[in-house]
Amino acid sequence: MLKAQNLGRRFGDAWALRDLDLHVAPGEIQCLLGANGAGKTTTMNLFLGFLEPSCGVALVDGKEVARDPHAARAQLAYVPEQVSLYPTLSGLENLAYFTQLAGKSGSDPQRLEMLLDRVELPRSAVRLRVERYSKGMRQKVGLAIALAKDARALLLDEPLSGLDPHAANEFCALLRKLAGAGVAVLMATHDLFRAREIASRIGIMRSGRLLDNLVNDGISSSELERIYLDRMRDSAVA
Amino acid sequence: MIGAIARKELVVLRRDGRVIALLSLLGALVLLALLTAWTTHVEHEQQVRQAQAEDSAAFERQGNKPSHSAAHFGRMAYKPPAPLAVFDPGVSPYLGQVIWLEAHRQDPAMFRPAEDAPELGRLADLSVAGVLTSLLPLLIFVMGYGAFAAERERGTLRQVMTAGVRQGAVFAGKLLAVAGMGVCVVSVVLTVATAAAVIVGEGHSAVDTIARGTGELIGYAAYACACAGVALLVSAVARTATSALLILLTVWAAGVVVVPRVAASAGQGLHRTPDANTFWSSTSDAIRAARPKRGSDALRDVERQVVSRAIGRELSSDEAMPASLNRAALGQEISEVLGAQVYAETYAALYATYDRQRDTRRVAAILSPTIALSHWSAALAGTDLAAHRHFTLAAEQQRQQLLRRINEDMMVNGAGQGYDYLAAAGFWRTVPDFAYSSPPVSFAVRAARIDLLLLLAWTGLVVAAAWHVARRQTAI
Repeated sequence: MLKAQNLGRRFGDAWALRDLDLHVAPGEIQCLLGANGAGKTTTMNLFLGFLEPSCGVALVDGKEVARDPHAARAQLAYVPEQVSLYPTLSGLENLAYFTQLAGKSGSDPQRLEMLLDRVELPRSAVRLRVERYSKGMRQKVGLAIALAKDARALLLDEPLSGLDPHAANEFCALLRKLAGAGVAVLMATHDLFRAREIASRIGIMRSGRLLDNLVNDGISSSELERIYLDRMRDSAVA
Repeated sequence: MIGAIARKELVVLRRDGRVIALLSLLGALVLLALLTAWTTHVEHEQQVRQAQAEDSAAFERQGNKPSHSAAHFGRMAYKPPAPLAVFDPGVSPYLGQVIWLEAHRQDPAMFRPAEDAPELGRLADLSVAGVLTSLLPLLIFVMGYGAFAAERERGTLRQVMTAGVRQGAVFAGKLLAVAGMGVCVVSVVLTVATAAAVIVGEGHSAVDTIARGTGELIGYAAYACACAGVALLVSAVARTATSALLILLTVWAAGVVVVPRVAASAGQGLHRTPDANTFWSSTSDAIRAARPKRGSDALRDVERQVVSRAIGRELSSDEAMPASLNRAALGQEISEVLGAQVYAETYAALYATYDRQRDTRRVAAILSPTIALSHWSAALAGTDLAAHRHFTLAAEQQRQQLLRRINEDMMVNGAGQGYDYLAAAGFWRTVPDFAYSSPPVSFAVRAARIDLLLLLAWTGLVVAAAWHVARRQTAI
């Protein structure tokens, strides 16, 4: 569903991402771990068509993103680290608006409220203006927007940041359900333990390169942490 | 999709306190201006009606009186206020409303051109058109400055594009909301103003007034769309919402205040209006120069023409002048005929200067649509220089007719009496009153069609430029 072939992006002389080969099939959850500047967000932006690749291709459902970003985005839902919403609209109004933009029926408030229930946004907050929301509440609305789109692939950029442990747990459970329903998930995160908990594969990125892409077949938390720290130490030495 | 974007924009604008505050201010100023204009208009119309009646009564009550004294006594031609002056008084307050119809001289209502009043001058005058012309762009800029810049800063543009919306649709939705809001404001104001004009415009065709109001609506709607295009263009180009707002405030000051003022000064500087002394002395010189020599064929031709009209039949070329004519009156009428030709030429030259000044301003309209709108608005309201000239030409025709009647009466009935001839007391009632009909809307459209075309060109180009830029911008 999501495929990167020799994908790279350069800003001036510096490569933000290079030689990325990646394939996320329907039903898989691919996590990308790495420090800031590792190239995770650049990867997301290349799949979303917000950046043009300097080399290689990003494909969504076989379609080259750079050639037709609009068609690629139609297949994707995206939850950024900082979910951007209209502050003077309520959570429900934001959800209705973005659902309409995605070409789905936005006029059924019951369905939308059910989606907000599903992401556990407190009922009392549904009709409050978003300017009064906490970061976690915004993340939940962002996820509801992604769910409402019924997309075949989900891109998540640090989605757990700012969520309390209970909400993060619920969030991961929801991701597993989505993957079970055949959605391909690509998630950038700093959270090794959540990654180990939900990912089918865990990629470790450093300085724009994907150094490892581990199959999560029972890897322990401590082993993952050791590999990750080794890789980051190499980075510090380098 | 476009509708959903436009609806969302309108909800966000409705909840934006700044927009509501600005709308309320604009509404209050429009209401105040309209009430002031209404009161002034009603008073003015009453004064015109009363003065016309008094002038008519005074003229008819002259009794037995020397004709030439009556010709110097003259009459007054009052310009009836245009109904849509309640919306846009244009240049009429600066030009005067009354022309004295007297012997030997075509008086102007006033010489000083006032069309170069800067836009803030018009706002200070508090006309509805002035308030709209000055504050509508400000309202639209406040509504539109964040359309792309704020969304880009906040990250919502990225969210919108991730939803799968094309940039073209985002632009169209935002334009629909911002321009639509401006057009709504303009529609409400012009509907109220046109209704007021129909009510106060007693004696004027309601159909003509409504047609003029519709023309105004087209002009102001185009202006609103042009302003919306500018706002979206700047918002798409600017790095931040704050810089977009600052750029737009600069554009507002330049487009609404500075450029119209500079254009007016440039027009006046390049094509100087003669001062009153120069005008009158050069006109007197021209009248003297145009008078044919005594005994010349040219003078004989004019004399024959004047006499033929007075006796009601064509005088053949070999026929002698009738002896039973008052020679003093004949001389007066010949002077009037010759003078009228010179006045026609000197006033045409004066108005040609005004036209060249207007053309200079039109060139400057490339930099500011406010200039084109001001011209179009005053033309449609019937308060521009072209409408004023229409009135002065009608008044001049009345003056010539009045003097011809007086002189011919003296010529035919006062043989041998010279200037001692007394016109009969009943004669004055036979001279028709001045009945002025203002020109139809088609006259106004013809006079200002270039300004409308400039306005539409401005709108088309700026919206196309904004669309071009907005389609190519990225979300990050």
